[in-house]
Amino acid sequence: MKRREFLQSLTAAAALLAVSPHLVAKNQSSFRFLRPPGALDEDEFLRNCIRCGKCGEICPNRTIKFFSTENGTDSVDTPYIVPREQACILCMKCGDVCPTGAIKSIPREMNAILENVEMGTARVDRSLCLSWQGKTCGVCYRACPLQDVAIRIGRLEQPHVLKDCVGCGLCERSCIQIPQAIRIIPNRSLSKSA
Amino acid sequence: MQKTIAKPSSLRHLNKLRWLILTLVFSILVLLPFIHLYQTYVAAHAYDLLLPNEKIIYDAMEWLTEPFVSNPERDLDLVKGTTWSGTLFGLRLSDPLAVLSQIATSLSLYWPFILTALIPVVATIILGRFFCGWICPATFIYELNDTLAAWMRRAGVPLGDKVYDKRIKYIILAGGLVLSMLLGSIMTAAIYPPAIIGRELYYVIAQGAFGSGAVFFILTILFDLLVARRGFCRYLCPGGALYSLLGRYRLLRIQRVVEQCNDCKKCNVVCEFGLDPLEDGFGQECNNCTACIAVCPTDALKFKIQTYDQTFQGPGHLGHAYRNQQSGTSK
Repeated sequence: MKRREFLQSLTAAAALLAVSPHLVAKNQSSFRFLRPPGALDEDEFLRNCIRCGKCGEICPNRTIKFFSTENGTDSVDTPYIVPREQACILCMKCGDVCPTGAIKSIPREMNAILENVEMGTARVDRSLCLSWQGKTCGVCYRACPLQDVAIRIGRLEQPHVLKDCVGCGLCERSCIQIPQAIRIIPNRSLSKSA
Repeated sequence: MQKTIAKPSSLRHLNKLRWLILTLVFSILVLLPFIHLYQTYVAAHAYDLLLPNEKIIYDAMEWLTEPFVSNPERDLDLVKGTTWSGTLFGLRLSDPLAVLSQIATSLSLYWPFILTALIPVVATIILGRFFCGWICPATFIYELNDTLAAWMRRAGVPLGDKVYDKRIKYIILAGGLVLSMLLGSIMTAAIYPPAIIGRELYYVIAQGAFGSGAVFFILTILFDLLVARRGFCRYLCPGGALYSLLGRYRLLRIQRVVEQCNDCKKCNVVCEFGLDPLEDGFGQECNNCTACIAVCPTDALKFKIQTYDQTFQGPGHLGHAYRNQQSGTSK
């Protein structure tokens, strides 16, 4: 290969690499997952996470799982949470143990958690929810660690999600309806800048 | 004239100590996921609901840790993580490559993390690339793999023994950092065997299945076995490249004592990194693993405290080449 051709292919490869994060972001799978509590915005998180796996290793509830290649090459070995499988109990240990600050260290107090944790927000599907269909349930309210702050119940135990919901997913985990009538809409996609 | 040969020195046993440490590090990495499982079982307060195999893990870990901890949920958090980045009795340590990659990818300096690499970096500046030979959990497997290769060769299986340019790994280090910066995602973590091993052991024990890194690691083992002896460490490892650069002016060096050398070449054969102790060719890539010291029949290899390598001192004084040379000049 001549030097000029080599340089040309090198520039082309570099250009391709430079735009590839945007391509990946556009083609992201619809797989719904959360990042651990206190994680930075998705772009910043991927830039800071060194894939050490300590957040998963410290998690007492075995909530945190790790990606293989299913979410694209840039999030291989990064932590994620699927709340229906195992939800976050807001113990905040993962932030304490994260060496790079990709997951912020947050004290385990209500105000600090309300202020810093934005994993997502719960949303109720009223056509599936037992209480909204007239069969008194209220399980999601009872599972919530932030009762009357993140979720409130009305007549027939009908759940109303309030704007302070941090998205821990304990309501989704505990919902007795199949499929679940309450689920967390991840905040991650909203803060993604790409 | 018969020259006196030095008695075997205690330095010979350092290689056994090194193997002890390698085994210890690897077994800790195997043990930690089990301890994590034990902690989650304790946190769940439901011993009776555990499956029989989970009860075995619970009982074994309880038996193992009970003498040291009063509250397993809290106290066992003192040792966490891997050699990539870990907590050792409250002291946070990280691989210099992890820190460098994080700086390159995030383009910012996060001091609490950078300082975790301080002890490894200082130790590497003094002791050279010692991580590669003394701690790296991948070295543990690669050296066993190398022993297997030696057995297979002896049994007559033809295995590749290609030699490449050792500078390839510096290109991979630089390329990995640039790629991480461009992709906005730390890529060096995916191609660095010790980081992979720590993670994959955790995945397979605590999460039930290997991740994608296991495939990469098996490929490196096959590369070592079939293509080039210790090929990954010698030619490709980005971490090894960084450690070599840091250890370039190391204080502690293995050097050849020319008066005691008999040119037997055992040191060159045993050297895992393909260096050339026989002709004083140690260089920045020597990891002070002491395998050559252990194998030297005349104790011609000694530790010295200096920041440079000796230039080639000529053939060993106990060898034929030197004797012929001497008789030639005396005539």
